[in-house]
Amino acid sequence: MSVFMEAAAAVVGTVAFSLLFGVPARFYPYCGLIGGAGWLVYGGLMNGMTAPSAALAATIVVIFLSRTFAVRERCPVTIFLISGIFPLVPGAGIYWTAYYIVTDDLALAVRTGFLACKVAVAIVLGIVFVFELPQKFFTFAAKKQEEVDDR
Amino acid sequence: MENEKEQPGELTPEEQREVLEAAMQAGHILLENGAEIFRVEETMDRICCHYGIRSGNSFVLSNGIFTTSGNEREEIFAKVQHIPVSGTHLDRVAAVNQLSREIEKDFLSPGDVKHRLDQIRIMPGKPRTMQILASGVGSACFCYLFGGTLRDSLSAFGSGILLYVYVIFLSSPHLSKIVGNIGGGALVTFLCTVLYLLHFGENLNFMIIGSIMPLIPGVAFTNAIRDIADGDYISGSVRMLDALLVFFCIAMGVGMVFSLFHRLTGGVLL
Repeated sequence: MSVFMEAAAAVVGTVAFSLLFGVPARFYPYCGLIGGAGWLVYGGLMNGMTAPSAALAATIVVIFLSRTFAVRERCPVTIFLISGIFPLVPGAGIYWTAYYIVTDDLALAVRTGFLACKVAVAIVLGIVFVFELPQKFFTFAAKKQEEVDDR
Repeated sequence: MENEKEQPGELTPEEQREVLEAAMQAGHILLENGAEIFRVEETMDRICCHYGIRSGNSFVLSNGIFTTSGNEREEIFAKVQHIPVSGTHLDRVAAVNQLSREIEKDFLSPGDVKHRLDQIRIMPGKPRTMQILASGVGSACFCYLFGGTLRDSLSAFGSGILLYVYVIFLSSPHLSKIVGNIGGGALVTFLCTVLYLLHFGENLNFMIIGSIMPLIPGVAFTNAIRDIADGDYISGSVRMLDALLVFFCIAMGVGMVFSLFHRLTGGVLL
């Protein structure tokens, strides 16, 4: 139950942030779907895996969906990508690092800071890997007719 | 238009100038509103190519565009444009992208393109009240996601709203990036601590995490990675530096207010 509540929160949160970035309203459902899917993967894997690996898997899902929808809607992938990746960016890690620095717990500060960096690197790798896939691969998503060249 | 496509060199210098100006403006809008370097360069090349300018060349950095053209048949044209980093309006990116597709398919004259670009440029963003509300809703959702209770989310909603009021009316028009983000982080921490002390929420940490999310530089971070992956190292590093600076400033703001409360309450709060 709580998993679904969380996914719902991720969907609504992602849509709210896509509004802040000026995503056209007709793309909100896609953005929400991507954000929710990313969080489901991340939250699901967090039980058995470390945060960086879960973030890597979730990023791969997010980017894959973003590219699929970008081809389908023939619009820049940035639109889906930026809002979809948002729940995964280690904002909480930054906070905890600042928190531990202030409370003079340097060991924990270093550890959380380093973890935040690892998560960031995992996101980087996820993005880079999935963008290596050739554009042709995504033509399955295109709405009939012509080849699509966006990425 | 078709003729010109088949016979390069047919363009008069004025037309050529018009096309290059249009390409430049398209690039300007894309870059300003959060597109990747790769997309800016490609769009500009496409516009030039479509109208038959073979010698067009553009070099795009994260805050400037350099365009030149000219060879034995085409007039020499050169222009440099400085483009300060500003907000993200992905709807404008999408609109320019759409326009670039239409240019390739239909027969728009350079004048039409210019006209369309002018329209895109003044495309209204989302109304401020909507943005403020979205910031509140986003904060509440992320507070819940990171482990807050419903009451925490409600407080995060409140501080997310006030944060964006600060961003729209004070930070983005008047303050520098560094001071603006330190102020944002500090404001959120202050609001959340006050709400926490008034017993509006149970977990101070999650309240703060949720409400700083609207400040997190997701666009700069993601674009930096994509630019570096595309081999645009200079722009990628500049954008990454931008993102890291903002991260750092938010942390500074949070930390400053924390230490202040730490002093005042003798460590009880944390």
